[in-house]
Amino acid sequence: MTQSDRMKKIRNFSIIAHIDHGKSTLADRILESTQAVSKREMEEQVLDNMDLEKERGITIKARAVKLDYVAPDGEQYVFNLIDTPGHVDFNYEVSRSLNACDGALLVVDATQGIEAQTLANAYLAVDADLEIIPVINKIDLPSADIDRARNEIEEQIGIVAEGCPAVSAKTGLNIEQVLEAVVRDIPAPKGDENAPLKCLIFDSYYDSYLGVVVNVRVFDGKLRVGDRIRLMSTGKEFDVVEVGMMEAFGLCRCDELCAGDVGYITASIKSVGDTRVGDTVTLANDPAKEALPGFKSAQPMVFAGIYPADGAKYGDLRDALDKLQLNDAALTFEPETSAALGFGFRCGFLGLLHMEIIEERLEREFNLDLITTAPGVIYEVKLRTGETVMIDNPSNYPSADVIEVAKEPLVKASIITPTEFVGGLMDLCQDRRGIFNDMKYLDSTRVELHYDLPLNEIIYDFFDALKSRSRGYASLDYELKGYEPSKLVKLDFLLNGEQVDALSFIVHEEKAYSRARRTAEKLKENIPRQLFEIPIQAAIGAKVIARETVKAMRKDVLAKCYGGDITRKKKLLEKQKEGKKKMRQLGSVQVSPEAFMAVLKLGDDD
Amino acid sequence: MKEIRGFVGKEGRPKNVGIYVHVPFCLSKCHYCDFCSVTGADEAKKDAYVSRICSEIGDFADKIKQTGELPQADTVYFGGGTPTLMSAEQFARILETVESNFGISEYAEITAECNPRSIGLEGLSDLRGLGVNRLSIGMQSIHDSELRMLGRIHGSGDFLGTYGTARKAGFDNISVDLMYGIPSQTRETFKKSVEGLAMLAPEHISSYALTVEEETNFYRRRDSLDLPDEDTVGDMYDDMGEILAKYGYHKYEISNFSKEGRESRHNLKYWTYGNYLGFGSAAHSYFDGVRFAHSRDIDAYIEGKGTIIDVEPIGKREAMNEYVMLGMRLSGGIDILDFKARFGEEPLCVFDKIRQYSPDFVEITEKRCRFTDKGTFVSNSILSDVLDFGE
Repeated sequence: MTQSDRMKKIRNFSIIAHIDHGKSTLADRILESTQAVSKREMEEQVLDNMDLEKERGITIKARAVKLDYVAPDGEQYVFNLIDTPGHVDFNYEVSRSLNACDGALLVVDATQGIEAQTLANAYLAVDADLEIIPVINKIDLPSADIDRARNEIEEQIGIVAEGCPAVSAKTGLNIEQVLEAVVRDIPAPKGDENAPLKCLIFDSYYDSYLGVVVNVRVFDGKLRVGDRIRLMSTGKEFDVVEVGMMEAFGLCRCDELCAGDVGYITASIKSVGDTRVGDTVTLANDPAKEALPGFKSAQPMVFAGIYPADGAKYGDLRDALDKLQLNDAALTFEPETSAALGFGFRCGFLGLLHMEIIEERLEREFNLDLITTAPGVIYEVKLRTGETVMIDNPSNYPSADVIEVAKEPLVKASIITPTEFVGGLMDLCQDRRGIFNDMKYLDSTRVELHYDLPLNEIIYDFFDALKSRSRGYASLDYELKGYEPSKLVKLDFLLNGEQVDALSFIVHEEKAYSRARRTAEKLKENIPRQLFEIPIQAAIGAKVIARETVKAMRKDVLAKCYGGDITRKKKLLEKQKEGKKKMRQLGSVQVSPEAFMAVLKLGDDD
Repeated sequence: MKEIRGFVGKEGRPKNVGIYVHVPFCLSKCHYCDFCSVTGADEAKKDAYVSRICSEIGDFADKIKQTGELPQADTVYFGGGTPTLMSAEQFARILETVESNFGISEYAEITAECNPRSIGLEGLSDLRGLGVNRLSIGMQSIHDSELRMLGRIHGSGDFLGTYGTARKAGFDNISVDLMYGIPSQTRETFKKSVEGLAMLAPEHISSYALTVEEETNFYRRRDSLDLPDEDTVGDMYDDMGEILAKYGYHKYEISNFSKEGRESRHNLKYWTYGNYLGFGSAAHSYFDGVRFAHSRDIDAYIEGKGTIIDVEPIGKREAMNEYVMLGMRLSGGIDILDFKARFGEEPLCVFDKIRQYSPDFVEITEKRCRFTDKGTFVSNSILSDVLDFGE
């Protein structure tokens, strides 16, 4: 069989959906029906193979799997199913995964209809020039409304949904229709195996035996073991050690990858930082003239200081971050020191979810107790000297008198909500300094709102507020718009007259008073009473704008010492001593890591 | 016990020992109580328990004899539970057993704890006749609403009755327990309890701040309890000190007040690093430098199964720390000369750290080191910095 014959039988596609619309379940059913995985073997959702993903029901990193499908007419096909991350933090990764495909299954929950991420993903798929097959899911549920879902798809996205598969991924109902639609409607890959090599990197991960495993889609050319490859964004070159396909249960090596294939490459690469998602792989001795379009290096948007709760664990934290970074080129970190928290790292993340995932993995997989400072964004500050500096750490924020103009990042946000919550959500956006762009009715019951919002408002509990004001129905999607001038101030906190660097944050002038008051109150609630009174002050520069006082301790004594049970009292004192060891000494004030976290935790009291 | 020995000072085993007998029987369980106690024990069970105590006393005396001179009991303390749910005959058996094995000194202080309504004139007279010369009555509050809140089965009238009866039965050394920090209690209601009690002029008053312990009725309802806050509890403690001073009491320990010369000699053993032996379930002992205790399993105790747990020999450094922890509970603090005599060195390791605290909290002279009134009530915070029980 010639390669062009072979290509005709390949279908490269993704499944895209709003969170919880059943993407992973549909993937499971497809895996089962192509016999790549038997029901008994399948633990559940094979594609999501990180524990965290299973728990959160989200896909963090793209994965791909090759499936062999025998059509009812006896023809054999190769399906390459490429999974995509499902969260707005990972938009860029989604777009690269989609670019590796020729088509996409757009899953829509028949009970929910279209949501913000359905649209966002559908637009990405349209941008990537993919053939989109709508799949209406959850039709087994009593509240399923297939016609409404069809109408929405046709009206909102503008693709034909007439006759599209309507399935229950949960029960397996009508799954064969999906497989037939893949064969019929998704185009076979095009490409020239004799042209210079062009592979798109859509994922890469570190394996301790193989080094970095690079997942690629080959567009043109051929790649064999021993070839010298070049990564076009950096010009770095490596010798290919192994190529192969991703089977359901692991890697399966082969001799060569050709145009149209989806597979993996290993080449003794030490760091995923060298194999950026979206980059193009070509051959060093016969390079492609130009790279595939759309490459961007991952830009962290959210920054926070991460410190070990126990200062002695600094080295462990560094090792853990190193290990996570092996697999996550979007994570950045550099050492920083805080007078309050000791040695730690200023880390950059794609977004809040990314940050939470990293924190959780550090705590769970590396058994570290962490203190994380309030997340912030990166500010662009033009100084009176004419110099422009990017500030990702409040401690480095220049003093007001040397700033010419300060700019903060803005995002274009799209919120889809049932109409009844529009008022509340508009208030929320208004309160978060949003600039209203427009409002579109999706149908008689749902509305899509467009706002420009400062990113630093979004990372301050915006998502929780959105959910609570819409009883969980509203959905959010956003992308970076650019930097705009803003009246920013640095808010500092003083305990017993001494400034605590880890508590400082940058905030819009209008929000400074309320945030100062709330943080001071939280500090008061969480700092244990000590032998002396502790004044808490919030200040902008030298001006104090809020104050609270932690009164001196009145009672800390075990009044009853019963029946000569000395051991119990000793244990109590020892426990107290242990607790104190964990305390952070801020000048003369002791604060527990828990108290710090309670204060730094994003407001949950709106 | 003969193989395991902790640090014992130059002077060796003291000639006297305190005897504690735990009596775990109660008519009902109070809402704050996490002590070892059971309700509804029948006579047969009580009798079996007393028999077990008596044989344990005998066994112990035999063992101790093998390793040195047998000390004499100079205090005996029946704690509970409610010891006065035992019959006079049962008290008598235990006292006779102590007498025949250890001997009871002529001037011994023999205390029984007692709850109002648990005993009448005849019973109290019998106890007095058996040589019990000190009674400790659990009053807790003079307000019926607070008593109900605590789950006590007595009312304020019952307390007054029992107190009067005890006087009539010839008790001239009575201690009364008071509680503060009770849910819904205020500074005012507590002051009335203190003042009301002081006017009765018992020889001794013990006053404890309520702590909500795990596995109690209060603990289960902890989130809905209207507990006075830390400041109010601090005020209550200060109020109590003032009122009792006015009535001629002196505070000799964090929670204990007495008329001159009426301090609890048994409890002082705990705080001045004396030896004591505890018999009965959950009873604690310190002897020959070793701490040990019985488990809380009453049935296992009765059956004579090995219920001794937590055997902990106390080394010299730990003993020095314990000595400070306990001694600092006393208003007089610790006696530096006694420390030197016992341990053969100055208590520098501890004092160097204590000295860093303001004289508002601690007072150190050539002879003594003590907490001030202000320091006493935050002493855990200071002691947990100063002491080191870790290895």
